[in-house]
Amino acid sequence: MRMVNFRLSYNARRVALALAVMLVLGFLLLPGQLQTVFQTVGSPFGWIISWPLQAVAGIHDRIADVWSQYVALQGVEEDNRQLRREMDLLQEQNAQLRESAAATDRLAALLEFKKQALPTLVAAQVIGRDTGNWYKTIILNKGTSDGLQSDQGVITPAGVVGRIVKTTSSTAVVLLLTDPNNAIAGLIQRTRDEGIIEGTTHGVARLKYIPLLSTARPGDRVVTSGLVGGFPRGLAIGTITRIDKEDEALFQSAELSPEVDPNRVEEVLVILPSSFPTEGERLGAPKPKS
Amino acid sequence: MKTLLYMALITAIVSIQSVLLPHISLWGVKPDLGFVAVCLIGLFGGELEGLLVGLVLGWAMSLFSAQDMLSAATIKGAVGFIAGLAGRQVAYLSPVVLVLGLLVISCLVGLITPFALKLSAQQNLWWALWTIVLPQAALDAIIGGAVYWLISSHFRLEQWVSEYRM
Repeated sequence: MRMVNFRLSYNARRVALALAVMLVLGFLLLPGQLQTVFQTVGSPFGWIISWPLQAVAGIHDRIADVWSQYVALQGVEEDNRQLRREMDLLQEQNAQLRESAAATDRLAALLEFKKQALPTLVAAQVIGRDTGNWYKTIILNKGTSDGLQSDQGVITPAGVVGRIVKTTSSTAVVLLLTDPNNAIAGLIQRTRDEGIIEGTTHGVARLKYIPLLSTARPGDRVVTSGLVGGFPRGLAIGTITRIDKEDEALFQSAELSPEVDPNRVEEVLVILPSSFPTEGERLGAPKPKS
Repeated sequence: MKTLLYMALITAIVSIQSVLLPHISLWGVKPDLGFVAVCLIGLFGGELEGLLVGLVLGWAMSLFSAQDMLSAATIKGAVGFIAGLAGRQVAYLSPVVLVLGLLVISCLVGLITPFALKLSAQQNLWWALWTIVLPQAALDAIIGGAVYWLISSHFRLEQWVSEYRM
């Protein structure tokens, strides 16, 4: 049994109470303004904390490398055989896609489409995950000093990862595609039906607001529609695994299997703003008169 | 000196929480070391220290999370303050009482948090209770009890607290 019995000075208690009341009042009356102040003050503070965070992440990566390169080598031969088979298959597919791309180029030139500019990308490393349990996020080792800002899209060569929601001078927090609080405009590649993709509590994603007459089916690929900022058109998001159509509902919805496994992402690419045109700019839509 | 110690503790907690704990989470839920630290600091350091450390720790943790800064800082600060108030009322504190106390407070905080965060409609209270609040409260209580047992078995905690608070 431990005994704890002590007193706090009257002045200290008064200061604590005053601080608590001020904070609660500030939170109720000026949430937006206080948020901005805290965010601004927090940027250099985040830079300081990012150093030990990166150090711990570096040690963790070293240990993981040693484990994967020297200890966990069982089954590598079988993996190697499997990968060679997949490589043969992909080479064949690649050849077919090259043919299709060449045909598309010819047709695009004929129709005088404006070419979609390639976006400027910044590579970043994942150094951590969300400090809480309520959101699914990853932490990147680049921040505002590298040109990163909120609402920028984050991808890997395989597809969409998520969207930046918070930055400090040297780190950025990315809300993953599979988080229920995220929403990205998507497009079913085969049927060209558009919808909104949001995460689910089961760790997958869901495409909502698909028109009732859509012929979408499991196996269809979903890509970004480019209608909302952050992502250019055509980036892979996932594949439809199930269609949900309820009686008397105005829309269908579909469950998606994301192309990128967010739990295994280590390096990502951040799409910088204004580096790619919106669909309106790309197609040369007339601007409203001011 | 003490401020530096707290800053080092906050830095260490943020680093461990975001880098190491995701790899040892149970059922996808990890304990909140910040909550445990703030409770213990409030309990043994008083409500002022609990409040201030809670505010700074909540704010620092929110820099590496999608959670908004104000709710994070306010919740952690309030936990530290309440722990400080509770500490003054408790004459005898056994590890079992501490574990139960942490379990209850963690559950209460977990039930309040979804309302403060305005989460997606999918993340309703029932879902939060079974998938996040209860597992996290259990982990918080076990870790808090273990830390308390470690500290009290290696240091003369009650003497240190009494001398420090004089």
